[in-house]
Amino acid sequence: MSAFLLEHGAGSDLLPQLESALGQRAARGTMLAQIAQLDRSLSAVACEAFPGRLNLPQLPARAPRLQSLGELELLRDHLIGSLCQAREALAARELERDAARELLEQMLLNPAKHRGVRISQRELGVGGCGVWSVMPRLGPMGRLMGWWRVKLSSGCPLAT
Amino acid sequence: MSDEVEAEFPGLRADWLGCACTDHRCDRGVGERLALLASRFNGRQALELRQQQVPDAYRSFSRQVGIDPDQQPTPIEQALLGRLLRGGNLPQDRISDGLLLALLETSVPVIAFDAALVSPPIKIRSAGQDQVVAGAVVEPGSLILADSQQPLCQLFSPPQPPLAAGGASDQLLLVAIIVPDVSALAADEALTIAAAAISGG
Repeated sequence: MSAFLLEHGAGSDLLPQLESALGQRAARGTMLAQIAQLDRSLSAVACEAFPGRLNLPQLPARAPRLQSLGELELLRDHLIGSLCQAREALAARELERDAARELLEQMLLNPAKHRGVRISQRELGVGGCGVWSVMPRLGPMGRLMGWWRVKLSSGCPLAT
Repeated sequence: MSDEVEAEFPGLRADWLGCACTDHRCDRGVGERLALLASRFNGRQALELRQQQVPDAYRSFSRQVGIDPDQQPTPIEQALLGRLLRGGNLPQDRISDGLLLALLETSVPVIAFDAALVSPPIKIRSAGQDQVVAGAVVEPGSLILADSQQPLCQLFSPPQPPLAAGGASDQLLLVAIIVPDVSALAADEALTIAAAAISGG
């Protein structure tokens, strides 16, 4: 009986519909997994950037709901863009810190050549709020005699 | 509509537990525990919490349902942000303190309803067209909590009066919202901690 029905096309419309539904389900599952993984990667980058902040584009606020496949794709693409942006920002920050460390090395080697230069601990990527600066030894005498040294300030003054 | 949600997120569900609340005043022991928890987190630790399993599960789920967790923080992140801004976990009332304690200990959000007005089972489903939840029409398809008779509140939104547990509620229904990848153990622990803190047991 079933062979007779199949021979005459019965059920043939159901198969593409079933395949389409299964394909949709699989596609949605893949999208959701990708979105979760991208969020984890973004979280890792945000933790690495601390105490700095990543200024990433934000999505408009809305209520939680099931999203269409198109919306999931757009969200995934948005997260990929945000992740790239975040990684670029971190890389740029690391370059700036390398430059600051290099400059500090030069200051320590030849303080007289870097009079007036100040580098904060934050620029170096080190915790705390001190500042490295080139200052004359023994005040005005040092300034006149050309005696310079690199000094690390003690940090934030007490609040008055 | 709940079948659709179940098919999309197999592990998404609500667990509930009833408890009594005869005294609504702040409990000193709960207040001390909240103060102790407040000293556990600084800014970096609050940020890095998102990489732990349960907070990460809520964050991922938020993304998957269209919420930007950096703009609308998950319940645990919202609680930690409040702690950082206020400088501590300030006691408010017995019910709020108990729910906050459960959230901080387990990262699982628990909400409280007046048990006299809510009838289990509690399910998570999509809102219908022109669905009214807590006195306001919600977007069709948005995820809501509902019991066997009525919609209760939007997912991750606090319940509103008269369904929300308040000063006049003697019997409460505590509901934990469990997202995929959160274990049943964490959910049970959250409900137990909240119930013990609220009932004083």
